[in-house]
Amino acid sequence: MHELSIAVNIVDIACEEVERQGDSLVDAVYLNLGVLSGVVKEALLFSWELACEGTRIAGARLAIQDVPGREMQVTAIEVFADGDPETVHDTASG
Amino acid sequence: MTPRLVEVRKNVLKRNDELARALRQRFRHAGVFVVSLVSSPGSGKTALLETTLRTLGETYRVAALVGDLATENDAARLLRSGAPVRQIVTGTVCHLEAEMVERALDEWDLAALDILFIENVGNLVCPASYDLGEDLRMVLLSVTEGEDKPLKYPSIFNTADIAVITKMDLADAVEFDLETAAENILTVRPGMRIVTVSSKSGQGMEYLFKLLAQGRSSKRFAPPPDGQILLG
Repeated sequence: MHELSIAVNIVDIACEEVERQGDSLVDAVYLNLGVLSGVVKEALLFSWELACEGTRIAGARLAIQDVPGREMQVTAIEVFADGDPETVHDTASG
Repeated sequence: MTPRLVEVRKNVLKRNDELARALRQRFRHAGVFVVSLVSSPGSGKTALLETTLRTLGETYRVAALVGDLATENDAARLLRSGAPVRQIVTGTVCHLEAEMVERALDEWDLAALDILFIENVGNLVCPASYDLGEDLRMVLLSVTEGEDKPLKYPSIFNTADIAVITKMDLADAVEFDLETAAENILTVRPGMRIVTVSSKSGQGMEYLFKLLAQGRSSKRFAPPPDGQILLG
């Protein structure tokens, strides 16, 4: 059971990115999770809320995409902001 | 406010991977061959290591790091071999991470070692995800565990370089089917080298020692990754 520490790593990466973007509200964090990664999806989702608690991405949802191999990668975050739409992709097209 | 998608593309374990890469570089420069052992609890990692440290210790300068959730029992046991041993007590963490290895190596003169063994916490799941900077990862499977372990825990077998089937002296008693076990290992990791041993009777140990010695010399004479020529 190392899903909580994995969840904390994901939260750290997402928070770093949010800080860089200057955005304040994160709706979702997208993760590619390899079937051979050794991480159990259900346990990761279970740990997610706890890992987010008290961080700037508290309340964000974790969207997991199953992929082959050992990959474990945060692919994107979905943010709510009034920034320049040209600098980031729109959800509908992204 | 409109939701927008920001591309990130970052590996979840990037911090561990970076630390592991730095460790691997450090090991290479020090000329120490690093072997890690992973398996379920009770499959004979410590017994195998005890014999290995004692035997290889006659020819090489060997040492070990050993990880457990609690107690220093394993370190105490391994110290009987006469080799330097350090225990990593992980508390509640079910695996070793590169950072723990780095911390445990503090003030250790790696250049004074030929082979360093890292015994991971007994666990067939979590250690699979964490690179420790080792050159060779051995996964142990004892005959009492059943032939289908590799199919049940493919990740750990998939990340390892050598599979060692232990407690072969008990194989007949538990009706262990070596052929099926080997087939299962090769299903999850095609082409994997499989070694059968008994730490108790010594069966197969000679061969394992030879493999380790070979690994050590091939590393020693391999060109360093950054292209520099290292002397000594």
